[in-house]
Amino acid sequence: MSAYEAKVDTLQAVELAEGVEIRLRMAGPLLRLAAYLIDLCIKTGIWIVVFLVMMVAGVALGDKVTAGLLALIGFFMEWLYPTLFEAGRWSATPGKRAVGLKVVQVTGSPITVGQAFLRNILRWIDAMPFFTYGFGMASCLATRRFQRLGDLAAGTVVIYDRQPALPVVAAPPPIGAVPLPVGLTADETRTLVLFRERAGLWSAGRREEIADQAEVLSGARGAAGVARLMAMAHWVQEKRQGGGKR
Amino acid sequence: MTVGDFEDRNRERWAEYERLVEDLEKGRKNADASGLPRRFRELCIDLSLAEFRMYGERLEGRLNELVIRGYELLYRHRRTGWEKIARFLVVEFPTAVRREWRLFWLCNLVFWLPFFVVMLSARHDIQWVQAILGADGMASMDAMYGGREQQVEHLREQYGANFMMFGHYIRNNVGIDFQTFAGGIVAGVGTLFFLVFNGIYMGAAAGYVNEACDPESFWTFVSGHSSYELLGMVVAGMAGMRLGLSLLCPGRLPRTRALVEAARKALPLIFGAMMLTTLAAVVEGFWSARLLPSELKYGVGIAGWVLHAAYFLLAGRRAGHAA
Repeated sequence: MSAYEAKVDTLQAVELAEGVEIRLRMAGPLLRLAAYLIDLCIKTGIWIVVFLVMMVAGVALGDKVTAGLLALIGFFMEWLYPTLFEAGRWSATPGKRAVGLKVVQVTGSPITVGQAFLRNILRWIDAMPFFTYGFGMASCLATRRFQRLGDLAAGTVVIYDRQPALPVVAAPPPIGAVPLPVGLTADETRTLVLFRERAGLWSAGRREEIADQAEVLSGARGAAGVARLMAMAHWVQEKRQGGGKR
Repeated sequence: MTVGDFEDRNRERWAEYERLVEDLEKGRKNADASGLPRRFRELCIDLSLAEFRMYGERLEGRLNELVIRGYELLYRHRRTGWEKIARFLVVEFPTAVRREWRLFWLCNLVFWLPFFVVMLSARHDIQWVQAILGADGMASMDAMYGGREQQVEHLREQYGANFMMFGHYIRNNVGIDFQTFAGGIVAGVGTLFFLVFNGIYMGAAAGYVNEACDPESFWTFVSGHSSYELLGMVVAGMAGMRLGLSLLCPGRLPRTRALVEAARKALPLIFGAMMLTTLAAVVEGFWSARLLPSELKYGVGIAGWVLHAAYFLLAGRRAGHAA
């Protein structure tokens, strides 16, 4: 497959029937690990409550009945706990929801019960060897969309639910508008615009360091290069269409 | 038009759309859902424009999020209803098993061949069987099926023991079904392992009991739930092999695509296996250990197999063709 292009971010574009592209921000293994650990804590909490209740109820029900109930609850917690939540309204386990993730189909639409079931039954293989999630991690790193084996089989991806708002920091104002000297691809132009938007987040030194990478475009290094890139981004965003009315 | 102009001109419309989406997401009654498709299309156009004109991450991100939220509302799947479950039982599951008849016989062979080889080997040389079961295994077989006096029934006399075993069978056996299925994704190796392992171990248990214990107490116990449990296991194996084969011979599809297709085909099988094994746990928990005449228990066991054969051969044929 030659579809592996170099990308500057973890966004995956999906085209909808309405003719528009939406961008899904894929969640990497680290955040998913955090979600997993939160779920683990929740499950441990549930177990503690269950044991306490069973200790009391065991007096009335007898120890055989409580042993049977514990086995049933154990089965549920081992296999169906994530399925139940991911097939529900949230499309996410409590842990995923807490860190702002959810599971969707590769096409961006909500997942079905069957898909939630599949990806969580196959979790058993992803968790191998010895619950280190080695298989799942290897699969995540080998695929474009960070899919573990269960995700691959079910056709699902884990994405950021609500994208965190970029901090609004005043970027240095552009000196003027400079037309692009050469035609750029859409992705390249977008990168240029992103540079302008995020410039306020960085120190002057860091800005220059990044701008130096685009010396071919700006034709200058250091502060002059930064200023030129900003002016080009300004032109792209505000002056390009409509013959520069404003 | 600058970013600011674009935002000013459309701000109100976006806010209305967002209110509507939020109402629908929260399931509020007053929401006017009929306006959603039109508003959603407008938002799609706004997003396209914003992206084309490079209005920047802040605005594009916001519109992107609004479009995704509307998309999810419009394309939400209807949740499973009773009608769907009934259709699964009567049509989808038996049809899926018939469609994969090659895998059905393959998985049966992989299970029954080791079963009979090991069981019959006990007649000539019981050491193999003893080695497979180990000391603990043999001790528990002795305790359960040692003779008419110390049968499995006596272990169930305590209050709630049947329910305890039911829970245990669910956790253990349905869990093994799931593992058999999941193991298929490693090119079928995990699935074959579980089928062969179960064949060998169950064959060893049967062979040991035939030679060293009271065979009648064993066979009367297992006959009742045998059809549900063994077919459930075989069907889980079929689901696993479907996954594994999609990776080994994906045909003309890329492997990732073949895997998704196979998983879709395997889904009714693994649901069905779960159902059969759950039924097996009910029968094994509440029927199999009852002290009843052997003829009756054998009869119920045979009836189970006949019913399953009829179910898988006949159920959903007409509807399956129509679909």
